[in-house]
Amino acid sequence: MELTKNITLGVYLPGTSIIHHLDPRTKIIAAMVLIVLLLFSRSYTTYSLIFLFTAIIVLFSGIPPGYVVRGLKPMLPVLVIMWIFQLFLFKTPDTTILFEWWILEATEAGLHMANLITLRVLFLFTVTTLLTLTTSVVNLTDGLESLLKPLRMIGLPSQELVMTLVIALRFVLILAEELEKIVKAQMARGVAFDQGNFIQKTKKLFPVFLPLFIGAFKRAEELIVAMESRSYTGGKGRTKMKTLQMSRADLAAAVVIVTYSIILIYVIVTVEPVI
Amino acid sequence: MEKIIETIDLNYSYRAGTSEEVRALYDINISVLPGEMLAITGQNGSGKSTLARHFNGLLTPSAGDVIVKGLSTRNKENIKEIRKVVGMVFQNPDNQLISSIVEEDIAFGPENLGLPQSEIRERVNWALHTLNLEKLRYEPPNNLSAGQKQQVAIAGVLAMKPECMVLDEPTAHLDPRGRREVLESSVRLNKEEGITIVLLTHYMNEVIHCDRMVIMDNGRLEMQGTPREIFLNSKEVKKMGLDLPVVTHIAAGLNRKGFNVAPDLIHTEELIDNLCRLK
Repeated sequence: MELTKNITLGVYLPGTSIIHHLDPRTKIIAAMVLIVLLLFSRSYTTYSLIFLFTAIIVLFSGIPPGYVVRGLKPMLPVLVIMWIFQLFLFKTPDTTILFEWWILEATEAGLHMANLITLRVLFLFTVTTLLTLTTSVVNLTDGLESLLKPLRMIGLPSQELVMTLVIALRFVLILAEELEKIVKAQMARGVAFDQGNFIQKTKKLFPVFLPLFIGAFKRAEELIVAMESRSYTGGKGRTKMKTLQMSRADLAAAVVIVTYSIILIYVIVTVEPVI
Repeated sequence: MEKIIETIDLNYSYRAGTSEEVRALYDINISVLPGEMLAITGQNGSGKSTLARHFNGLLTPSAGDVIVKGLSTRNKENIKEIRKVVGMVFQNPDNQLISSIVEEDIAFGPENLGLPQSEIRERVNWALHTLNLEKLRYEPPNNLSAGQKQQVAIAGVLAMKPECMVLDEPTAHLDPRGRREVLESSVRLNKEEGITIVLLTHYMNEVIHCDRMVIMDNGRLEMQGTPREIFLNSKEVKKMGLDLPVVTHIAAGLNRKGFNVAPDLIHTEELIDNLCRLK
C-alpha cells in the first residue's frame, strides 16, 4: 500500500516517553484546547508561541522532529493552493495593494490572511498528528469512550459509536488487503488500470469496488453473528477489562496546559491582530 | 445424565412462509451429552451449519424445539443464559475478531457478560495460558497467521467459560499446521478442561478424535454412532459424499485382500499394531 506510506496522520509510533504514558483523556482534551486556541490566534506573536509549545511537545515525545515534518509534506500542495487563494481573494477596503496581475490583485490584508490561515491549518494538522503518533488506537478509543460517557444522558449512544470505530479500525487493513487481491485478480485477467483517459480509468474501477462492497457486507454479517454469539447486546451492561487511570504526570500535564492557555489567551487579547 | 443440548423434531426453512422457502433441516433429533466430543459431518449444503446455529439460539426452529440445559431457545429471555452455556467459533477467523489487540479481543466476551474487572483479567489470563497464546497477548490480529487467529477466536470463547463449545468448520480456512494446532486445542479443551465439544468438519482425520459422530445429508440426520462403527460401513459413508479416514481405508483394503487386519481401525497406532502382528 504505497498510498499510506507517507501519511503520518493516524499512525501510532510506539514509545516510552512521558507523552506516550499520559492518559489518553489528558491528551485528547489537551489537543482540543490547543485547537480551540488556534482558531482564535490572529497574530504572528501567538503563532510563535504555539510553535514554541508544539516544539516542546515534540521534544518530550521523543519523536524525531524530521518525522513530524515529513508527515506535513503531503499537505504541501493543499497549503500552497490555499495560500494563493487567500492572497488574491481576501480584501479589506483600506488595505494597500502589493501587486496586480491580470484581473487579480494581491493586497497586504490578503497576504496576512493567507499566512494566518496556512499557519492555522499547519498546526491543526501537527497537533492531531502528535496525538495519534503518541497514542495507540486502543487507548484512543478507550479515552474517547470515557470522555463521551456523560453524553449518554442526552441520548448519544457513545459506547456503540466507539465500538463501531474500534471495528472500523480493525477492518481497514483487512479491506485494504482485499482490495489489493481484487485489483491483482483483475490485472491477471488483463485489465490495465493505468491506461486510458480519466473516464476510462474510472470505469475500470467499478468491477473492483463492487466485489469489495459485497465482500464487506458479507464480512459484516458474519461479524454480527460472531458478536451476538459472544453475548454482545450493545453497550448496556458491559464492563471493561481496562479502566483508565490518571497519574501524577497527567496532573502535571494539566497544569502545563492551563498555564500555557492563560499565557496564550493573554497574548491573544492584548496583542493587536494583524488582520 | 442431563443433556447439554437436545433437539426435538427440529425442522427449519430459510425464508419460511415466502415463495422462496428453502427447507434446510428435516426432523432432527440429536443430543449433546456433557463431556463428550461430538463430530457433525456432511457435505457442503448438508445443513450442518444451520443445525449448529440452532444450538445457541442464533436460529430458532420453524417447527420443533431446541433445549439447552432445560431452556428452550424459543424464549428470548433464555438466550443470554444459553449463550453463556454454548460458545461458538466460526470458520473465518478474520470475521470474528473485534479488537486490534489480542488481549482486548479475548476480553470482549467476558466484558459483555458484565463481569467485574478483576474477574475479566483473570479469565483472559487463563484463556491465554490454556491455549499457549501468552506470547501473542499484545499483538494486533493482523500480524498473526490464520491458525493463530483461530486460536485467539477459540480463546475469546473460552474466556466466557462455556460448558459447551461449538466449532463450525474452524479449520476450513487453515493450512495443515494451523489445522493440526486447532484440532489439538479442541481435543485438549475436551480432555483437560472437560468442555463439551461439537466439531463441525469434513476432514475425517479430525472426526476420528471424537467420541461420537453424526453424518448429515440433505438436511437429514442419516447416521449416528462412534467413528469406528460408522466407518465400518464404508459404502454408506461414501454415498453421503464423504471419505474414509486414511487408516480405515488402508485397513479395510488389506482386510478385503485376506490379510489378518481388523477392518474397523481408525487410529494410526492401531494400524501399526495390527501390521506388526502380521508376521
